[in-house]
Amino acid sequence: MAQTGKTSKILGALALFFILLGLYWGLIKAPPDAYQGDSQRIMYLHIPSILTAYLSFFIVFVGSCLYLWKRERRDDILAYAAAEIGVLFTALTILEGAIWGKPTWGVWWTWDARLTFTAILLLIFIAYLMLRALIEDENRAAVSGAVLGIIGVLDIPLIHMSVYWWRTLHQPPSILRPDKAPWENIHPAMLEALIVNGIAFLLLYFYLLSQRVRLGEKQEELKNRKLYGRC
Amino acid sequence: MELLRQTYWLLWKDVRLELRRRESLMAMFFFGALLLFLFQFAFEIRPDRVAEMAPGLLWLAFVFTGTLGLTQLFQPERENSCLEALLLTPFDRSALFVSKVLFNLILMILVESAVFPLFAILFNLDYWTLLPSLFAVTFLGTFGFCVLGTLFSAVTLNARARELLLPLVLFPLLIPVILATIRCLEIILRSGAWSEGLPWLRLLIAFDVIFMTAGYLIFEWVVEA
Amino acid sequence: MNLRVRQLSKAFGSQWALQDISFDLHGGDCVALLGQNGAGKTTLLKLLSALIQPTSGAIEIDDVNLAQASARVRALVGYFVPSAHFYEHLTVKENLRLFVALYSMHNNGTDLDDALDRVGLLHWRDRFVSALSAGMKCRLVLAKWLLVQPAFLLLDEPYGPLDGAGVDLLESFVSSLAQRNKAVIIATHQIPRALALCSRALVLNQGRLVFDGERHEAALNLDRLVGSLLPRGKQWNS
Repeated sequence: MAQTGKTSKILGALALFFILLGLYWGLIKAPPDAYQGDSQRIMYLHIPSILTAYLSFFIVFVGSCLYLWKRERRDDILAYAAAEIGVLFTALTILEGAIWGKPTWGVWWTWDARLTFTAILLLIFIAYLMLRALIEDENRAAVSGAVLGIIGVLDIPLIHMSVYWWRTLHQPPSILRPDKAPWENIHPAMLEALIVNGIAFLLLYFYLLSQRVRLGEKQEELKNRKLYGRC
Repeated sequence: MELLRQTYWLLWKDVRLELRRRESLMAMFFFGALLLFLFQFAFEIRPDRVAEMAPGLLWLAFVFTGTLGLTQLFQPERENSCLEALLLTPFDRSALFVSKVLFNLILMILVESAVFPLFAILFNLDYWTLLPSLFAVTFLGTFGFCVLGTLFSAVTLNARARELLLPLVLFPLLIPVILATIRCLEIILRSGAWSEGLPWLRLLIAFDVIFMTAGYLIFEWVVEA
Repeated sequence: MNLRVRQLSKAFGSQWALQDISFDLHGGDCVALLGQNGAGKTTLLKLLSALIQPTSGAIEIDDVNLAQASARVRALVGYFVPSAHFYEHLTVKENLRLFVALYSMHNNGTDLDDALDRVGLLHWRDRFVSALSAGMKCRLVLAKWLLVQPAFLLLDEPYGPLDGAGVDLLESFVSSLAQRNKAVIIATHQIPRALALCSRALVLNQGRLVFDGERHEAALNLDRLVGSLLPRGKQWNS
């Protein structure tokens, strides 16, 4: 337990350092985009956000599988924490997308594939949290969450395919395609900024995750003390 | 095989109960019909646009109606602690999953078979020659709906606000089924040719196979204590 | 067949329902499970029949841990509840057919009729369970367990709705199970009857096992062990 606390603090410190570095790199050091100007800079946040959201989902999946297999509370706490933080980062991704969208396309929202897909991810995360909250028995809630975690992750490739086909099999491709990976033909200076911010986000993510897991473990400990304390 | 036998008996039980109580089937059909009326009031479905809008509207009607059926799906097991009674026996828990999926599928197909013609009549849609293709696609979509629906109906069995929670959890996961089925139906109504719809069809079949398998394997954990 | 309970404990939220229960059960045992309301009798029976999972401790049937056992092993334990576990809108016979099929027992129509006859429900064979009174439903439950005959049968307040004839049926059934080397636990408040029927008694008090021994010892010490298990004709303060 003390180990987690220490690791968490280190992660937090590193995250802060890299965030500041990333902000500098992204906002000041990297050159503005040829077409989009400064509004392109949000990509330095947007892409790492998406990646951490996917990472979160993956961790929910792993935690869910482990929990169903071994039934250790630790794995369930991890899955739940990853879902909570996942909601945060997914919502952030959508918000960043909207902030970029307004100056670029003139609208806050567009039903393009990537945004829609990210919104669906958010809905699934939220459904996970609501499911856990509304089931009273703790063990059943954990098992139910694990089932949703596994089914959700199995479904993601199918959702991805269906949403992208929905938007591409009928729409003509547009010039400003936001779902085109920006690291194709990306300027090296921009790539550097992206990597720095990527590292910053990962560290931030793991810091938040470790804090949340610690909180979960403390809650578990409290519960056990109440139970066994008066034995 | 023991599994088939147990699935048969569990399905027999649900069919018997439904024939006697007739709660789900009638309610689902009338609800579906009601939705068609609401759609007309909401969307003003003009004759020149019917073929375009039909798949989406119909499928939405089926999804909402199906969700009604899903909340009732495990009702017999909730009464009198019958689920407990089942769990005391050595039956294969996955048999319960298969029997409920089949039961829900039967209910939905019956409702769809009544609502589809009603839609055609209400909105003057002429599709009789395309019926087999339309049916095949609808069947695959309904199957996917029933598989995930049954799984999560069991998962949310004892949750609070169950009638709200079930759609909340289920609908995002059903997006591939909804999109694929609607697109395929659209393509068939528009051109009658399969080739354009092939990727969607493959997606639908993949969905059905993956989640039937996943549900089958996972169901035991869902119902046990 | 042996059933061993080792340091079994169950908590609901932050309250202990059962703590540190240990005992053994062998074929042929007939055990009365006694205790006040809320002492944990039903919780114990549900744990033994694997309907709920323990918080700690283990239950083993022939050295197989119940928590990891297959459904087949868990089904060796039956749980008799007088008022539930039947589909109200199926007939008496249909219910039995279903459960017999789920126990993978081959469904012989005459076996079912025999069982119904023995419990006096043959004429109700084609009536819905919802039409039955509580006592008749209890007899139906009896018919089911008569057919299934599990290695361990746990009865939870079976005397409740039964009339005199029903009580005789129940007791002769329990005795016949014990004779066939099956084990029976009866949780009940009918202390004189239970101690007459059973050779052994387990007494629970506030979630703990305070007595495990021969019935005559239990009868002598009941007051000391638990206090108010027998009605004393106290006045209601108005």
